[in-house]
Amino acid sequence: MSPAAADGAAASKRQAELLKQEGNSFFKKDRISAAIDAYTGAIALCQNVAVYWTNRALCYKRRNEWAKVEEDCRMAIHYDSHSVKAHYMLGLALLNKQELTEGIKELEKSLELGRGAHPASYMVEEIWQELSKAKYIEWEGLSKMRSSQLHKLKATCKEALRNYNSLDNPAVDVSEEHLNELDDVFRKAAKADTPTEVPDHLCCKITLDVFRDPVITPSGITYERAVILDHLNRVGKFDPVTREALEPHQLIPNLAVKEAVDVFLSEHGWAYKIR
Amino acid sequence: MTSSSSPARKMLSKIACNRLQKELAEWQASPPGGFNYKVSDNLQRWIIEVSGAEGTLYAGEKYQLQVDFPEHYPMEAPQVIFMNPAPMHPHIYSNGHICLDILYDSWSPAMTVSSVCISILSMLSSSPAKERPADNDRYVRNCRNGRSPKETRWWFHDDKV
Repeated sequence: MSPAAADGAAASKRQAELLKQEGNSFFKKDRISAAIDAYTGAIALCQNVAVYWTNRALCYKRRNEWAKVEEDCRMAIHYDSHSVKAHYMLGLALLNKQELTEGIKELEKSLELGRGAHPASYMVEEIWQELSKAKYIEWEGLSKMRSSQLHKLKATCKEALRNYNSLDNPAVDVSEEHLNELDDVFRKAAKADTPTEVPDHLCCKITLDVFRDPVITPSGITYERAVILDHLNRVGKFDPVTREALEPHQLIPNLAVKEAVDVFLSEHGWAYKIR
Repeated sequence: MTSSSSPARKMLSKIACNRLQKELAEWQASPPGGFNYKVSDNLQRWIIEVSGAEGTLYAGEKYQLQVDFPEHYPMEAPQVIFMNPAPMHPHIYSNGHICLDILYDSWSPAMTVSSVCISILSMLSSSPAKERPADNDRYVRNCRNGRSPKETRWWFHDDKV
């Protein structure tokens, strides 16, 4: 690149950055069209900056123009595959056009990227809420299917049991005991899909809700990251259960609990229900 | 002042709302012994009946607790007071205010309504005499403007009772 061209590129970059800031202030004032124009200008100058695309996508989201949200998010991901916001809004756009599985995949990706201590973690709760809604809908569909399959199979089994007994000994009716046992087996088979309570060890002692981003303290107690940080900030620098001194930097991701939560949720989709 | 007066309150935050719904469900599934939640549709104010434990000075007596939750519960303690008439106890003022550290400086968000109730009952049960705190009259006079016990600067000089 010649020095003149390099200068030109630097000038474009600066100009694009200015346009982005303009767009941000338009967006804050709810002037969505003006914000879109500003971001479009920034993209024209420097199309490889993912934030320009996600900011414009946020404008389209505000206007419910989901096809455009999807388009911009895909461009953002093309330039930055780790963009939490791009995966998040792409997920919402896909859910909006009823692509449940693909939408969930994107939301999960953004949750994965959003977990942890970096600045994007403020979005974890918002992403979780949307993901939960989608997952619950998915579970409702799947569990309905599973339950009707079990229902049919149970009827067939009962029928078969009666036929078998009548072949063997036509005089005797099928025993009550056998039918009860059969009921029991099918009840057990349906257990995972029967809503109950999430086990306490998968729930934060403060939120009493299932963990999104669990962290463990030196005392060995696990909390929801955003909430324990809020506690340290607002209430005091101590572990809420043991009252031992605690500083934010001592919090460590509890990956074992996170995996246990993931396994539990994958087997018990009803737990995604948000009250 | 009467025990029903309450400070201007803000709506519960989302976290507070969610947590209280879970606490209430948990309470209804297994309420702490000696307590009875009075059903209402107000999640932000619970009225709980306490029965004095057998074999203590308060056996056979019933009192009512009023629990008000702040916007940022459980990051802030709930306000817990006895409704009129408050039990005679060296740590309970005649206006219903309770001198108990976990309700103020020693609050922790890992505590629940249920654990607070149990602490209050244990405080009642270990009482040696049915009497008011020594500074009852002065304290109650100072609270006449409807001050919340959470605005009091408590000192907890005696943790045996």
